[in-house]
Amino acid sequence: MGFSMLGPVFRQMFKKPWTNKFPAKYQPNNTTDFLKAVAEGKAKINPPIATPKGFRGKIKYDTEKCIGCKLCIRVCPCGAIEFKEKEKKVKFYLARCCFCSQCNDVCPTKCISMSDEFLLAEADPYAKELIVE
Amino acid sequence: MAEKKETKNTNKQLSPEEVVKYFKDEFKTKIKSSEIKKRATGLKKMEFVNIWMKIDKSIFKDFIKHLCDLTYPHLAVCSGNDLGKTIELIYNFSIYFGKNLEEISFNVAVEVPKSKPEIETICDYIPGSLITEREKQEMLGIKVIGIPDERRLFLPEDFPDNLYPWRKDKETQKGIEKLYKNLHEGKVKK
Amino acid sequence: MSSETTQTTYQLPIGPIHPALKEPVMFKFEIDGERIVDVDVELGHVHRAIEWTGMRRNPIQIIYLAERICGICSFVHPMAFCRAVENAVDIEVPERADYIRVVHGELERICSHLLWAGVAAHEIGFDTVLYLTWEMREKALDLTEYLTGNRVTKAILTIGGVRRDITSEHIPKISETINYFNKNFIKLKRAFLEDKTVKMRSQGVGILTYDDALKLCAVGPTTRASGVKKDVRADQPYAAYSDLGIDYTTPDLLTGEVNGDVYDRIVTRLLEVKQSLEIIQKAIDQMPAGDLVSEPKIPKLLNYIKKTPGEGVGRDEAPRGEVIHYVKFDGENEHPYTWKVRASTYANILPWIPMLKGEQIADIPIVAASTDPCMSCTNRVGVVNNKTNQKMMLDKETLHKLSIEKTRRLMR
Repeated sequence: MGFSMLGPVFRQMFKKPWTNKFPAKYQPNNTTDFLKAVAEGKAKINPPIATPKGFRGKIKYDTEKCIGCKLCIRVCPCGAIEFKEKEKKVKFYLARCCFCSQCNDVCPTKCISMSDEFLLAEADPYAKELIVE
Repeated sequence: MAEKKETKNTNKQLSPEEVVKYFKDEFKTKIKSSEIKKRATGLKKMEFVNIWMKIDKSIFKDFIKHLCDLTYPHLAVCSGNDLGKTIELIYNFSIYFGKNLEEISFNVAVEVPKSKPEIETICDYIPGSLITEREKQEMLGIKVIGIPDERRLFLPEDFPDNLYPWRKDKETQKGIEKLYKNLHEGKVKK
Repeated sequence: MSSETTQTTYQLPIGPIHPALKEPVMFKFEIDGERIVDVDVELGHVHRAIEWTGMRRNPIQIIYLAERICGICSFVHPMAFCRAVENAVDIEVPERADYIRVVHGELERICSHLLWAGVAAHEIGFDTVLYLTWEMREKALDLTEYLTGNRVTKAILTIGGVRRDITSEHIPKISETINYFNKNFIKLKRAFLEDKTVKMRSQGVGILTYDDALKLCAVGPTTRASGVKKDVRADQPYAAYSDLGIDYTTPDLLTGEVNGDVYDRIVTRLLEVKQSLEIIQKAIDQMPAGDLVSEPKIPKLLNYIKKTPGEGVGRDEAPRGEVIHYVKFDGENEHPYTWKVRASTYANILPWIPMLKGEQIADIPIVAASTDPCMSCTNRVGVVNNKTNQKMMLDKETLHKLSIEKTRRLMR
């Protein structure tokens, strides 16, 4: 009974699909083998679509400019920032961060900024890639 | 009273001051305080009105009946505060919906003593208040007299019986922290 | 010898986890043959202790907690909270911020109604419309990401205004998206409203009468489809809606009569999508110049809230209905004394009972989905429980709970 849908469905057969095939066109049979092939240059990873300007990705921290005022710790909703007493600088735990960018807004010296990286999956929440200091 | 005959006809709309006067005429001193707050928003600076009233517990049911006679209200929610020796229940109504930009938010506060935390149900006038009354029963430990359905709403059945999460006394909070601390003891690698 | 046989009803439990339901809720039906005789609803399966957690945080942190009450309503909960705080401690909001809030709220409404349209079509079994509507929704999500930085949790609100501006660079993309939707709205309308299958399954099913909707305090498109005129945007002057002129959407604007069945609810939601497109266009055209936020320095704002006692109520119109937050400050602490949230599905639970009585079992998914329930919004109150049968729910919030533990450890 879907006579009204026949037109759009027919037209769809001649259109290019919307999906961007990231990272590969078909799912590889073995992911570790695929990654090895990419490292050797035998296979290619399709890039993801570019993020817009102002995207809230991984935190970038400029240690020189930080004055140790602790305002970012006061406003972080997740408790993802820790204060290092001796050096008077901070440490970010990205496994807990919710990427709200409130620390970025409140910092008086603008030493925190949001980059456009979003491929942050790791098996261990305290891995080195997920701690910014 | 001539005023009562007029207000049975719900097409007549009263201004906020007249609404307050309507209740004060009927209940006189049992209304402890009333306040009208107006705030303007947008470019045209139109105002929206909030009426806050504190009433005595003894006239609660008659007050609700009086409100239903004026115009059928919409009960948004019933919030609760634990004020030490008493528990304050705030019923947030809104009246005169349906006509563009003429709604009034009407908030009624009733205090019940902690030694005897009981209040009458309003389910016979407003059947939609069943869910919010059940929630108050389990969260604050209030007993609602005459409620048609007494079961717990959100908390699971094996939650400890006399523990009311919204009360602010130290005993309750310690009891809750016991339930909370046994969770994940996260190992932090430095 | 004849054995005594009696005719009785069956009890059929559905839930909490079931393929027909999108979120965990427990239904217990009493069935006589294929007809439903009585319904009972049990809640409490997605219970996350958000209000209790919120009473230990300062207002800036609560905004982000409120955003995560529900993914689809992730603009209205922080909006209602900010309005409650602004009403409690008397903070003014500049006019430009009001207009920007309107644009984002309506954009979220479009995304939510298109998602619902796809889900409703899926419940009937009409998967082609599911793909069509969700493809259109991708355009709206792309626009959201361009304006705010993320598709779902927008993080654009703060107490006293908004965080990001809509500049002249953004306007071409907004106009392009609105034109795309205007062109494709006819396609959507034809696919949904003029299709014989959809009409057969949804007309005359799940009826909610005018009296029932009024008495049970139902909210949102559920009650507007039954003819009750209730809409926070049109009832009270709030944000910039009073300048833009909003009217109530009831199904007689399109079909000419009001029945209160599932078909009327579909009509109401599609009409609201059209209304939202018009509102966004008007708001962009009429936006005044001005500040974005009334107090840009956050420590000053937090100290002001710490010293001012007061209580306030904030209401907002979510895609599902009315949302109300109540906040009380006692003038000594930064964190609120009380925070009460009432999401819109809370008020739409009781109408399920008259809607489902007398229907067939096969109609349960479409009737339950027609009120657009959002169980995550409904169960938030109280205390976290560590009993084993709730462990699965808690694991999804593991990060949040770990962070609380760590904060306590850091505070010692």
